[in-house]
Amino acid sequence: MFKIKMADAKLLRDMVTAISILVDEATFKIDQKGLKLRAMDPSRVAMVDFEWPKTVFDEYTTTEPTKMCINISEMLKLLKRAGKDEVVELSLDEKTGKLQIKITGKYARNFTMPTLEASEEEVPTPKITFNVKAKATTQGLSQAIEDAQLVSDHVRIEADNEKLVLNAAGDLMGATITLQKGSDALLDLEAKEPSKATFSLSYLSEIIKEASATSDIATLEFSTDMPIKLDFQQAKEGKLTFYLAPRIETE
Amino acid sequence: MWSSSRHVDKRSPNVWLLDILKGSNVGAEVNFDENLLVARASSNGLCVACKGSRFLCGKARCPIIVKANYFLKSVPLMQSEDIAGASPPSVFVGRIGYPYVYAGPLVPPVQEDTSVYDLPEFWFGKSIDEIVGFRSMLIRGKHRVHVQKFEKAGKIIDKTRELALAVKPVDVELILKKKPRGFLLLDDEVQPFGPSAPIKDLIVGNTRWDHQIEKAYSDTDLRAAEAVLELYGKGVLVTKIQRAFSVGSFGLEKNRRFVPTRWSITAVDSIISKELMEKVKTFPEISEYRVYESVYLDNVFEVLMLPSAWSYEAIEAWYPGTVWNPSGRNVVMFSDWEDYEGRTTYAEIGGCYYAARLAVCEQLVKEQRQATVIVLREAHPSYIMPVGVWQVRENVRNAMRQKPYTFKTLDEALKWIANRFQIPIQRWIMRSELLKNALFQKRITDFIAKI
Repeated sequence: MFKIKMADAKLLRDMVTAISILVDEATFKIDQKGLKLRAMDPSRVAMVDFEWPKTVFDEYTTTEPTKMCINISEMLKLLKRAGKDEVVELSLDEKTGKLQIKITGKYARNFTMPTLEASEEEVPTPKITFNVKAKATTQGLSQAIEDAQLVSDHVRIEADNEKLVLNAAGDLMGATITLQKGSDALLDLEAKEPSKATFSLSYLSEIIKEASATSDIATLEFSTDMPIKLDFQQAKEGKLTFYLAPRIETE
Repeated sequence: MWSSSRHVDKRSPNVWLLDILKGSNVGAEVNFDENLLVARASSNGLCVACKGSRFLCGKARCPIIVKANYFLKSVPLMQSEDIAGASPPSVFVGRIGYPYVYAGPLVPPVQEDTSVYDLPEFWFGKSIDEIVGFRSMLIRGKHRVHVQKFEKAGKIIDKTRELALAVKPVDVELILKKKPRGFLLLDDEVQPFGPSAPIKDLIVGNTRWDHQIEKAYSDTDLRAAEAVLELYGKGVLVTKIQRAFSVGSFGLEKNRRFVPTRWSITAVDSIISKELMEKVKTFPEISEYRVYESVYLDNVFEVLMLPSAWSYEAIEAWYPGTVWNPSGRNVVMFSDWEDYEGRTTYAEIGGCYYAARLAVCEQLVKEQRQATVIVLREAHPSYIMPVGVWQVRENVRNAMRQKPYTFKTLDEALKWIANRFQIPIQRWIMRSELLKNALFQKRITDFIAKI
């Protein structure tokens, strides 16, 4: 049994939206400390690692550790009904296996939705030695990604100690986007060695677009031809991190 | 990308065609009225110079002579305004002038069992001559109708609808306003058929409806997509569903409408395969690389399945001299794809994308497996005439009936395909989003396993 309450329904909605980029069915782990989810998309190209400690919630009660699997897009439909400043409450009825979503504001709504069989798969996070660490505004990042998307489906990200460069090459057009260290968009940059890796823009753009709703600042970490780690700093405590595997063109 | 109109639709003067017919021995035996003949073909002038004898267009046979042959066979059919015969059953709904379209039955002046004339499910293996042979016997009656106001369109449209749902060939008397005029309409989506004329009156004999379809027809609270799926689930042939779909037999009462035949074919393929795709996504992935093959009507299909989450791509390559690349010097390739989430826009390559998607989904559902599927098609120069989307559906279905060649790695599978195709595999790879993905896009698991 658990019951959680959040005074800001929008925060929950934005977070669930960000998770929904990668997964249809999400298995949340719920225990004394908080709410967690780690999952890969069906093609196993990207991973989301999400955590909300109980302090994020206005009310958090749980009797014993539980796993709960739900259809994310169905849940989103319900959460979209919540307006600004409305309170949302989630509780699991273990007898019926149904999740109850209660939204209260101008009036009260009580939705129930079924839970699904929880996945038993334990997904470890990739352990990678990152050579580049960059801190950027999510707004600056989204803009840069949108620029690159105009010309190609993938982008090469390169960095040294001076700058972070996004290089997109399409069939006919190309784009180079430079973020200088210390500029408005790039707050910090450290590179143990110059590195570069190529990533799918459809994944990158969706991740950055949806995660931006939850966060103003993102930390990027990567190494040559290794997955990139995108950590979106959360206002309250909590963690929203994505990993995205690179594209490596070999001829 | 080569995306301009693929339909050579210019109504050019028929002088050169008459020249060809006079010049060859084809027309010698038949006394045809020159006014009956309207030709639709490329107006690039090659045909005038060639007159069907030099094969300047690069095709293996002159499509005009082939068409003219059948056309002339149907000349005797064009002498009368009164056509009596057994309709397979078959109907055609045009798309020109939408929402005011020409609809009506297709009737051959033949009194035998004609059911196969309109059931592409049974055509696989037949030669192009045989298919065009019986299709060109089908005379099309036309009656103008507003797609949404068909209920009040009168007896001719009522009878057409009645006919479309029949389970067996039906005796039809088609009384036309004038003698049918012909061009053999050839199209990559729609099966070919013969000459046409406006309908004066239509008399339809006793019809017995397919009872499954009738049930969906009388249920005016059942949505069209649900009706299609229900019928497909009960084993009703795709062609029969599509035929009923085109005459507004399904859906909520207020939403029912006539649907041009070519749209209805793709709509039905799309509705069914969409449902099957959702099922496929719940099954475990296949564990090896597979290649399925089929060759029919000089269309070579290689269907590659990869052990990965569902996604789908169709690529077609047209040799110079084939239907959609008549005057090019180079092979032209078209492609379209969708990822796991599916697509929301219409595939540029058209109806065959959805027809092939249906065929591969059927196989995966049957096997309860999931895969990434890439359908590769080479259309060779002797594919001189398009015969309809059914060719793709049935050709890929045939491929799925064969035992696949299996491989441990993608490289081996691609080497196999490279040997089967004339176009270098590198060109297919460069064209294919999903192959590039499979070759170049790493997975998170690649980096977890290493630890």
